[in-house]
Amino acid sequence: MMPKLDIEPGSSNAYHTGDWRTRQPVYRNKWPPCSQTCPASEDIQAWLALATERQWQAAWRKLTERNPFPATMGRICYHACESACNRKHLDSAVNIHAMERYLGDMAILRGWDHKSSRGTPQAQRVAIVGAGPAGLSCAFQLARRGYPVTIFDAQAAPGGTLNSAIPDYRLPKSVLAKEIDAILALGIELRLNSRVGKEISEDDLRDEFDAVFLAIGTQQPRPYQYDNRPNGDKSSHSVMSGLEFLHRLNRGEPMPLPKHIAVVGGGNTAIDVARCIRRLGAEVTVICAQDSHGNHHRELGTEMPASLQEVIEAETEGVQLIYRAGVRRLVRSGEHLSGIEIAHVDQVYDRHGNFNPVLFDGTEEFVPAGLAIFAIGQEADWQGLERLSQATESDGVWLGGDAVGKSKLAATAVGSGYQAAMSIMARLKGEPFVFDAHKKAQITFRQMPLHYYPKQPRHEGEISEQRLDGFKEVVKGLADDDAAREAKRCLSCGVCFRCDNCWHFCPDAAVIKTTAGYEIDYDYCKGCGICAQECPCGHIDMDLDPASARTYSAQVLDP
Amino acid sequence: MDKRDTFRHNVLTSGHRACSGCGEAMAARMVTDLIGPDAIYINATGCLQVFTTHNQQSAWQAPWIHSVFANAAAVASGVEAALRAKGKDTPVVVQAGDGGTFDIGLQCLSGMIERGHDVLFVCYDNEAYMNTGVQRSSSTPHAVRTTTSPPGRLSQGKHHLKKDVISIIAAHHMPYAATATIAYFPDLKAKVEKAMRIQGPRFLQILSPCPLGWAHDSALSVTVSRLAVETGLFPLVELEHGELIGVMRLAEQKPVEEYLRPQGRFKHLFGTKTGAVELRHLQALADARIRRYGLLDADTQWDTARAMQSARHGRGGYASSMPASEEVKNDA
Repeated sequence: MMPKLDIEPGSSNAYHTGDWRTRQPVYRNKWPPCSQTCPASEDIQAWLALATERQWQAAWRKLTERNPFPATMGRICYHACESACNRKHLDSAVNIHAMERYLGDMAILRGWDHKSSRGTPQAQRVAIVGAGPAGLSCAFQLARRGYPVTIFDAQAAPGGTLNSAIPDYRLPKSVLAKEIDAILALGIELRLNSRVGKEISEDDLRDEFDAVFLAIGTQQPRPYQYDNRPNGDKSSHSVMSGLEFLHRLNRGEPMPLPKHIAVVGGGNTAIDVARCIRRLGAEVTVICAQDSHGNHHRELGTEMPASLQEVIEAETEGVQLIYRAGVRRLVRSGEHLSGIEIAHVDQVYDRHGNFNPVLFDGTEEFVPAGLAIFAIGQEADWQGLERLSQATESDGVWLGGDAVGKSKLAATAVGSGYQAAMSIMARLKGEPFVFDAHKKAQITFRQMPLHYYPKQPRHEGEISEQRLDGFKEVVKGLADDDAAREAKRCLSCGVCFRCDNCWHFCPDAAVIKTTAGYEIDYDYCKGCGICAQECPCGHIDMDLDPASARTYSAQVLDP
Repeated sequence: MDKRDTFRHNVLTSGHRACSGCGEAMAARMVTDLIGPDAIYINATGCLQVFTTHNQQSAWQAPWIHSVFANAAAVASGVEAALRAKGKDTPVVVQAGDGGTFDIGLQCLSGMIERGHDVLFVCYDNEAYMNTGVQRSSSTPHAVRTTTSPPGRLSQGKHHLKKDVISIIAAHHMPYAATATIAYFPDLKAKVEKAMRIQGPRFLQILSPCPLGWAHDSALSVTVSRLAVETGLFPLVELEHGELIGVMRLAEQKPVEEYLRPQGRFKHLFGTKTGAVELRHLQALADARIRRYGLLDADTQWDTARAMQSARHGRGGYASSMPASEEVKNDA
């Protein structure tokens, strides 16, 4: 038997080394750059994290909290999120749009519905004018929180521009229809062929409903000028607007086309039109007043507005592009168009920032074309809505979507619908409206030790071989295994993904691992900063320790 | 007993008096948690012994003996022989600093290995006598500033080279000798677990940065130890019976300057002509080590990039007896 010692050793736990600390680590979630740039303010990091666990339905539900159109947006959105992705500093950006589409397609395939997310029924009724992405997004948010919603649309089918002006090779109609059906299944009343001001009056709308959301979109082509004739908004067999062309194509109307066609405009609509024409078998030249991408004129705003990806696709498909060129006149022989005379554009915008190109004399060129399609922008058609459009939110009228605001992206419309829904609900409940979208990103790749992440190639959807053979979709969805791997490429910027680094590296065993995550035991943390330094995703901040801050200010302020 | 953490024993628990950011405390906590509390730990004099047993308070949650500086290996030999006589197979582990290994304890260590005792000897190498105030040891690298090798008009820090102790140990033809460092936990874990499966004398040399003696920011302990490996100055190798059986390949060789810059102990080398010569010398030493161990062209998938990779839900836990964490194997 060992004799008992005079002094029994105690545990060092009795000694709290925490008071050595001048700085303290704090776990803090940060808003990543992808979400900052997403016009619909999706919490991309969160739904990708669920996808890495193969919790597909949970991921889809997280995604649809902000955007009820994942299969649609995954196909047509120009994914600003990917340009902002921190991963591009390691290898290449996460293929966010393909993941979004994958989840959306899976929801359609497996028939997931939004019903489980319905809230308690409310009494106040909301009218929405326009069944495009903004109107449907707003209706979706309101309906899932229990509000009775009625949507009015002048067209015979819902979807707005998504339905009437997006070609099938980018977005098959069935995909859009299924996502709209899932939204309408929340009990939303849809009145088609009902133009406000015609089938229903402005006053009826105001009397019947507690709130009105106007999301009428831009369904009217901007008037185009040629031949010094004031306005050619009447289409003829030789001149047409881009929107008109797409509408007719989407309605399936037969269009006899000449061999050569010129498209005027530098936006995404112009590119859509050109790619459609290639599929119909004609030659096409796009005449764009702006510069091509990457021509160092971005600060002057003279880069063409179309998405780079779309332009690359168009060039691959044989679309000819002429940059910095404007239309001088249409060259006719009788009523028949033989081509367009173009000239070099010096200034694209005037000093007020309006599109007003200056053409240089003597630089004229002839582009042969039997049809000129003007895709130079579109506007809202406020006819019949004159009084409502002047009303304000305090009158119970909200405006949103493409019809207001500068950005004409579908995702912006979805975000605008969400914002309107939140604002409407706040007003109906008499609560102050606080909007959390467009939060600033708080994390850049510089705050992240990227060497902790393995390099992995980006997974892409397969590209169809016979792309010009009809209007079949060009890009296929991700394969199942690729989707799970692609989700894992997310760096989880600013949000803990439980890599254990802080826990492994703490010299003082002051990081406690729990089933829920990690906790810092401030009784013992000496504030060395290793956890923050070695956190791959920049989730840990080193703050000034409050206790030592007090001591410090006491010393400085009370000498 | 400290039972705050259900995923780890914390054999070396909180409240110890190591400096903020101590690489040795981190290394010792990793190693002892991998071995677990059912072992007898013999600790030579040094930082680790001093900062863990202060004022009648012990940070050890396992049987632990303090030996004098020179004889840790001899004490371990005796403990192991006694356990063997009693028919027990409790693991015996020696922990010592570079002073207790390279210099003062080398004779006893050599004897322990020669007699074939079943003991794991772990050397936490922080490259000087930090406990007594940063005096040079035979582990201190060339050109380092310590209080007993001060740079000045006639000197650029320590004249001599770092003792190649792993080769000396491996020359005993012992079962297992390896080097590791704190930056690569999966590598450290694999080596400790392998050592614990082997019978006979085993040796681990673990590079443990010292923010005080190396004069770097306390937050950079892991970063600095990673750079020591990536520059080739501290090769991670495994030797069995004197033969090199594995190395960690360098995915990319970094210039030694990246390793030296954050450390105040090399500060005198920058901006002077004589310092520039020593910088070239240190680079040549790194290059020579890379050539000697074939660190750039070794035929292995285990490289510095792969060993760094973090994964969702953990890079691997501690002892297998612990409750399983939600470990999801990274299938990439």
